[in-house]
Amino acid sequence: MTTPQTIEQYLAQLRTALAGADRAMIQDALYDAEEHLRSELAENPGMSEAELLAKIATSYGAPEEVAEIYRTTEKTVARALRTPPPRPRRSGFGRFFGVIADPHTYGAMFYMLLALATGIFYFTWAVTGLSMSAGFALLIFGAPFFLLFMASVRGLSLIESRMVESMLGVRMPRRPPYTGRERPWLQRIAAMLTDARTWATLLYMLLMLPLGIFYFTLVVALMSISLALIATPLLKAVYSSYVDSSTCVGAPPWVCDFAAWSISWFGVAIWCLLGILLMLVTLHLVRGIGRLHGALAKHLLVKSARV
Amino acid sequence: MSDTEAHLKKFEKELAAGTVSLVLLAVLAAAREPLYGYQIAKRLERDAGGVLVGKQSALYPVLRNLSAAELLDTFVEPSEAGPPRRYYRITPLGRKVLREWTGAWNSTRRFVDSILKE
Repeated sequence: MTTPQTIEQYLAQLRTALAGADRAMIQDALYDAEEHLRSELAENPGMSEAELLAKIATSYGAPEEVAEIYRTTEKTVARALRTPPPRPRRSGFGRFFGVIADPHTYGAMFYMLLALATGIFYFTWAVTGLSMSAGFALLIFGAPFFLLFMASVRGLSLIESRMVESMLGVRMPRRPPYTGRERPWLQRIAAMLTDARTWATLLYMLLMLPLGIFYFTLVVALMSISLALIATPLLKAVYSSYVDSSTCVGAPPWVCDFAAWSISWFGVAIWCLLGILLMLVTLHLVRGIGRLHGALAKHLLVKSARV
Repeated sequence: MSDTEAHLKKFEKELAAGTVSLVLLAVLAAAREPLYGYQIAKRLERDAGGVLVGKQSALYPVLRNLSAAELLDTFVEPSEAGPPRRYYRITPLGRKVLREWTGAWNSTRRFVDSILKE
């Protein structure tokens, strides 16, 4: 690989060297490198970029070295800071019940409940911002309003990333894409508007309303049914004197038989077991949806390494 | 010759992996004002001559993880001449952790010294 002559070339080489690594990590690594290189440039005003980059190779590291450092640090840090993942259970039985002990299950459930609120907020923010921008377009402050709105979308994207990482356990960027301060502001605006990620984020915010409603309803409905079924023995113990199948009059006999069986201790025990089973299936579903949503968020909110 | 050099490099790398968090916390605890990444790197370069930390790019992921663990506070501020800078400042929790780490470091050093003297 040739020695980079400009900061852009250095970053391009770093991106190439990191190819195949986690997209979120690449964004963080590029942010760090750009901040360091531009600081170095600001400290040495007399030096040309090419000279500076030659010096950088020994202090900050050449692109390939930096890539190697990020790859290994990410591995050790992930091991040190994250809660260790539960040992993969080999038996199908263990895999089925292991979902109870997986913290991601509960993170995903909390995220799905919260998604109703965040979904309404994102959708409202996006629709209000877009329609007000359209309305103001004819006025003098139309353009600044639109730009301010788009900047807020990028800020919200970072907040959502943090929530997705903490609750769903998907690695997301911790730094925004770098925006050079020294470039003229017209160029920076153009960069923001031609960045596919900005528009993908807007799409994500619109999508979050239907998704949020769906997630919330699913969790509430399935969890209430399971909990109600699990609670049936308790209900029978407390209210047994009120529960009586002799009032079953005028219905076909099999309906009355079923009602009598349902409130017998044997029937109640079966309902309770069914409730536990449904709860376990729900937890699996929740964890699966959490993974899918994490993948969706990563796809729409994080810039792909190819750009 | 190059044989022992490879061993030395590997040993230095392993030593640095364990101590760089301690060094960063200590630098930020000693600083009176928040510092940004480049400043911290230059300070270490001046004092240590790159013995401990190796390449400066290795500092940034560690800084990020220390602030994720809430041992450091971080904020971004635009600068007049250069790019926007991410500043780091030690938190009260960070100071407490630093005291414990210093204790662990001192006992490790005493132990290693006593073994080496024998």
